[in-house]
Amino acid sequence: MIEALEGSQALARAVVLCRPGVVAAYPITPQTHIVENISKLVADGVTDLELVSVESEFSAASVAMGAAAAGSRAYTASASQGILLMSEVLFNISGLRIPLVMHCANRAIGAPLNIWNDQSDSMAVRDAGWIQIYCADNQEAIDSTVQAYRIAERTELPVMVCVDGFTLTHTLESLELPSQEQVDGYLPDYVYRRSLNVRQPISQGTLVGPDVFPEARHSHHQALINAIPEIERANADWAAVCGRDGGALLTVEGDPDAEIGILAIGSTIGTLAEAMEEFPDYPKVRLIKLRVFRPFPIEALRAACAGLRKLAVIERAFSAGMGGIVGTEVRANVPGVTVYNYAIGLGGRDIPLTIYPRILDAIAGDDTRFQILDVDLSRLPEEDR
Amino acid sequence: MSATDSQTAEVKVDIAQLRRRQPRFQGLESGHRACLGCGEALAARLVLESAGPNVMIANATGCLEVFSTAWPESAWRVPWVHSLFENTAAVAAGMEAALKHQRQTAKVLAFAGDGGTFDIGFQAVSGMLERGHNVMFVCFDNEAYMNTGIQRSGSTPHAAATTTSPAGRERMGKRHLKKDIVSIISAHHIPYAATATVAYPSDLRKKVRRAIDVEGPSFLHVHSPCPLGWGHDSDKSIQVSRLAVETGLFPIIELERGELTSVMPIRHPRPVVEYLKLQNRFRHLFADDARAREELEHLQALADYNIEVYGLLGDGPDPLDTNGVDSVRRGGAKWA
Amino acid sequence: MTIYTRGGYALPGSSLAFKTGTWRVQKPRHVHAAAPCHAVCPAGEDAQAWLAKVDEGDAQAAWRTLVSVNPLPAVTGRVCPHPCESACNRGDMDAPIAIHAVERYLGDEAIRNGWDFGLAPPPADARQVAVIGAGPGGLTAAYHLLKRGLRPVLFDKNPTAGGTLLTAIPSYRLPRDVLNAEVEHLLSLPIEYRPRTILGREVSLDELRQQYAAIILAPGQQKPRPWSVDGVTPKDLHEGLTLLEGWNGHQSAPAPYSAAVVGAGNTAIDVARVLKRAGVTEVHVISHKAKPGPGVPEDDVMPALAREITQAEEEGIRIHEHRGVRRLLLRGERVVGVEMVHMKKLRRANGRLARVAFDGTETVLHVDQVIPAVGQVLDTRGFEGLLGGQGWFDLDDVMRVAGQRNVFVAGDAGGNAGTVTAAVGQGRVAAAAVAQLLRGEDPVIEAPRLGVPYAQLNVHYHEPAPRVVERVLPVAERGECDEVDLGLDRHEVEAESRRCLSCGNCMACDNCWTLCPDSAVLKTQEIASDGSHYVFDYDYCKGCGLCAAECPCGYIEMIEDL
Repeated sequence: MIEALEGSQALARAVVLCRPGVVAAYPITPQTHIVENISKLVADGVTDLELVSVESEFSAASVAMGAAAAGSRAYTASASQGILLMSEVLFNISGLRIPLVMHCANRAIGAPLNIWNDQSDSMAVRDAGWIQIYCADNQEAIDSTVQAYRIAERTELPVMVCVDGFTLTHTLESLELPSQEQVDGYLPDYVYRRSLNVRQPISQGTLVGPDVFPEARHSHHQALINAIPEIERANADWAAVCGRDGGALLTVEGDPDAEIGILAIGSTIGTLAEAMEEFPDYPKVRLIKLRVFRPFPIEALRAACAGLRKLAVIERAFSAGMGGIVGTEVRANVPGVTVYNYAIGLGGRDIPLTIYPRILDAIAGDDTRFQILDVDLSRLPEEDR
Repeated sequence: MSATDSQTAEVKVDIAQLRRRQPRFQGLESGHRACLGCGEALAARLVLESAGPNVMIANATGCLEVFSTAWPESAWRVPWVHSLFENTAAVAAGMEAALKHQRQTAKVLAFAGDGGTFDIGFQAVSGMLERGHNVMFVCFDNEAYMNTGIQRSGSTPHAAATTTSPAGRERMGKRHLKKDIVSIISAHHIPYAATATVAYPSDLRKKVRRAIDVEGPSFLHVHSPCPLGWGHDSDKSIQVSRLAVETGLFPIIELERGELTSVMPIRHPRPVVEYLKLQNRFRHLFADDARAREELEHLQALADYNIEVYGLLGDGPDPLDTNGVDSVRRGGAKWA
Repeated sequence: MTIYTRGGYALPGSSLAFKTGTWRVQKPRHVHAAAPCHAVCPAGEDAQAWLAKVDEGDAQAAWRTLVSVNPLPAVTGRVCPHPCESACNRGDMDAPIAIHAVERYLGDEAIRNGWDFGLAPPPADARQVAVIGAGPGGLTAAYHLLKRGLRPVLFDKNPTAGGTLLTAIPSYRLPRDVLNAEVEHLLSLPIEYRPRTILGREVSLDELRQQYAAIILAPGQQKPRPWSVDGVTPKDLHEGLTLLEGWNGHQSAPAPYSAAVVGAGNTAIDVARVLKRAGVTEVHVISHKAKPGPGVPEDDVMPALAREITQAEEEGIRIHEHRGVRRLLLRGERVVGVEMVHMKKLRRANGRLARVAFDGTETVLHVDQVIPAVGQVLDTRGFEGLLGGQGWFDLDDVMRVAGQRNVFVAGDAGGNAGTVTAAVGQGRVAAAAVAQLLRGEDPVIEAPRLGVPYAQLNVHYHEPAPRVVERVLPVAERGECDEVDLGLDRHEVEAESRRCLSCGNCMACDNCWTLCPDSAVLKTQEIASDGSHYVFDYDYCKGCGLCAAECPCGYIEMIEDL
């Protein structure tokens, strides 16, 4: 059924449709609406999940971790500073191979304090060993949420579903929520083989010495690599259930034969697609929507980039002192393609449609150095430009 | 190790079987790597004897975690998870929420040291207590960061020397006081909070059972001597802990909803020097030095304060006082 | 090689694979030491063991344990000077256990209830052993022979068995009904008793040698030690032992107005109290040793029972401590007094202890009679040929007469402290030696176990509890034969046994089991092969020493284990 819903409300309902046993969260803008909506569903008796309103994001992740370890499907959500506060727990959850799903309502990280959207938060924890899915729109976010539980529980890896703050979370749209039957048919009851259970009193979180730590790390790495087909299968199976295919690892739009491409993740892709229509004088490009950033889909990316001469990677975060994060990884993996890399829309700066011609103009030259494309250097003191 | 003598050889045959037949719940098994005479290892086993087996544990980073679970081995016989140093109470809360949702009856225990309780884990503990989770939180207090090499914590007693509060020309050990954690905890208005020590196992067990039976959060603060960190002989762990009680430095109390409901009376109050002189961490207080003498008096005054505030002087011998409570009987009935 | 488990989990209790015992440089061991009461008991009784059974509420089992060593507890419970109580570690804490009173209770209970010794008759082909003298030594020897499958034949010159118990101990101390009952109880066992048989008259040593596989001589010391002061003895000398025999046999004793008894032992006190009962107004005891009291060195205390001394004083008897008799004051041949002098046993320059009289401390005591009670000597009739040069038996450790293969001695005749309990102990040793000999073994005595010192106990675990106050008959009610000590009831006996610190013996308190941080002490359901209730699991014991430090009984020691 198609309804007009705010993104957060839709996500809250998607989460509840997955029948989590425990939800733990701590308020932070722009994640709050998701948790508020879940709280209301609990209050209304729509779900019997245990809602634990904790005293910090650190505890939010820890409660979710404990719940999942104890055999309940668990959920948390956060953003920005909250992601950083829970980062120690994030590494811990994945290292223990505990299946868990969380939303990151992407937001910038201070200082300076900023509550608006970019993806510095989830990108900061890209090495936490989680699967990361970036959603281009709210419909995809709904579908990705359902898929995320299936992926997490099959791979025994936690999944972070990244949704751009405000841009998606606070936007009212017409959205289609799956039915409970659809979700139940797709997502089996929570099974975690190593769950804490008095009939199976195993110990988790042991001390692992140098004699086996590299093997432990390798197994985690391999688990993420092995997750790629699971992610593809999860997407295909869900498409079969609901008829929507948001793309598994990545999606190619625009002109598939173009020699110039633009790669983006998250909601930026929507703006670029719209701009491509808006500026018919500019050549059509191959638009690559990267959905799964971890594990990094090297094979799919190479296939998507086949025949490209130039590729602009547009992202909403960067590694200060080095450059783009996604761009650097793409460049390392698409030999023969000249990769240009730009950050835009940091801290919620509006991304106008005119960004499209600016990108194309920028990649016409040979300068592949990283730039914040929409920066206004005149607002900086001379020495900082 | 010497060649096994005949006595050992004789019983060796069925010793594994005998171990399996022990008339107690062995929640923490042998083969753990705690130091000789470790108070914490003893305390943890004692707690589980009374709490187990229908329990699961969230365990903070620290000695207890490290010495019990060196992969691929574990000394635990109950479901156990170690996540991080500071989130134990939250992990336990999550486990409890899950069990509640699953309508399971197992009790969740949270085990942490003094660092994981007084300091880095404090916020999570407070949050868990405030939210009323049905979790028994046990703080094994060895009064410093032992796992990292004896650094001072919020629980380190005043004037104790640690590697980050050493004694020297300008300092007499830790300058600050030991945090009054039990008062802080009980200020959460939780149903049950108590202190206990390895020196009084029967008292500890009774309190574990009470804490387990409580519906809602309960807190046990267990004095757990560390021979290495405190600088006493490994065979003195019990004596040291007993003296902590008999001097008044570690009052044995119970608090229900923040109200003091019982104390273990001290039959023969001992001067604090009897406790201090057994431990190298207080050795500097016995130097011929005016500041040392002052700090000794200070510690005595702190003990006297506890005795007064908690009313630790009983009215004559009591079967539950510091002497009566652990008097032995033939056949060991007292432990039953 | 272990395959990495996903997430690094581990299986429950898998730490058992890690043997922490390899860390150890010392290890605990159960100490097979004796409780001090046991170590010092002349009869060899393990009082701790039977007190434990009383504590467990099983008086009959306690009695069985007791009589496995000493078949005369109703007697010894009354007359033994109980060195066990002087040695009792509880004395360092508050007051010793009233061991004698518990022993007496068990003996009395056995008589009252007719408890069975549980001894089978000897097999038909059992060897016969002659025991000469049915005093405490002989009775005990006969009992232990029977216990060891031999056939004892017990000879005595008197119609009634009992020996010195009958002749020398007054009935206010050892009521005749108790004595007779206990002796009869013992003689109801398959022990052949031949009364009115005097060695050297009715039967000779040679005849015994021919008819019996071995001989145990237990004739006691029946003759008073000769006594004089510088060669002077009063004409109407009544000797203490003879006086007691007269009183015990037919209630007759001399009754002058005043008398002085010379001696410090039980005989002296007994004589003094008998004189009081016979009507003597003023009775004095002149003792070269001190009355028991705090700070008095053990070797300077009067050997008489402390409570007898107290009771004697209650009855108006005056004891002169550290005094010797320097001169008899005679009018003609009649005694009118004694000259006493302060004396003390001191170590002389040659290193020997000797009694020293201090000139200038002489005092005169006006008495009508002086009665020596300074000891007894052997009546050697019938075995003169067995004696050594000094007129005593030369005996080895197992009480065998020097140069004899199968002749042993038990009781006072062997030369001992002259106590009933020592006689009992020797009776057992001699019987055990005979049994060994007749099995074709070389008789050896079991090595004595050392007593556990007080410092080795962890007394924190023991609650202070006052010693029972034994009831005594008020002085005014003490008749000629009434027993003065009234004994204890069941509750008192149990309370007293509960005070036992179980020195050197496991009391199954569970301390070691409970307090081992490594769970390396395992509890056994019954009893471990080493007599404890626990076994050390040396695979995991790290040698921390907590079990030893916290053992309330001193039963665990740490030994090097590199």
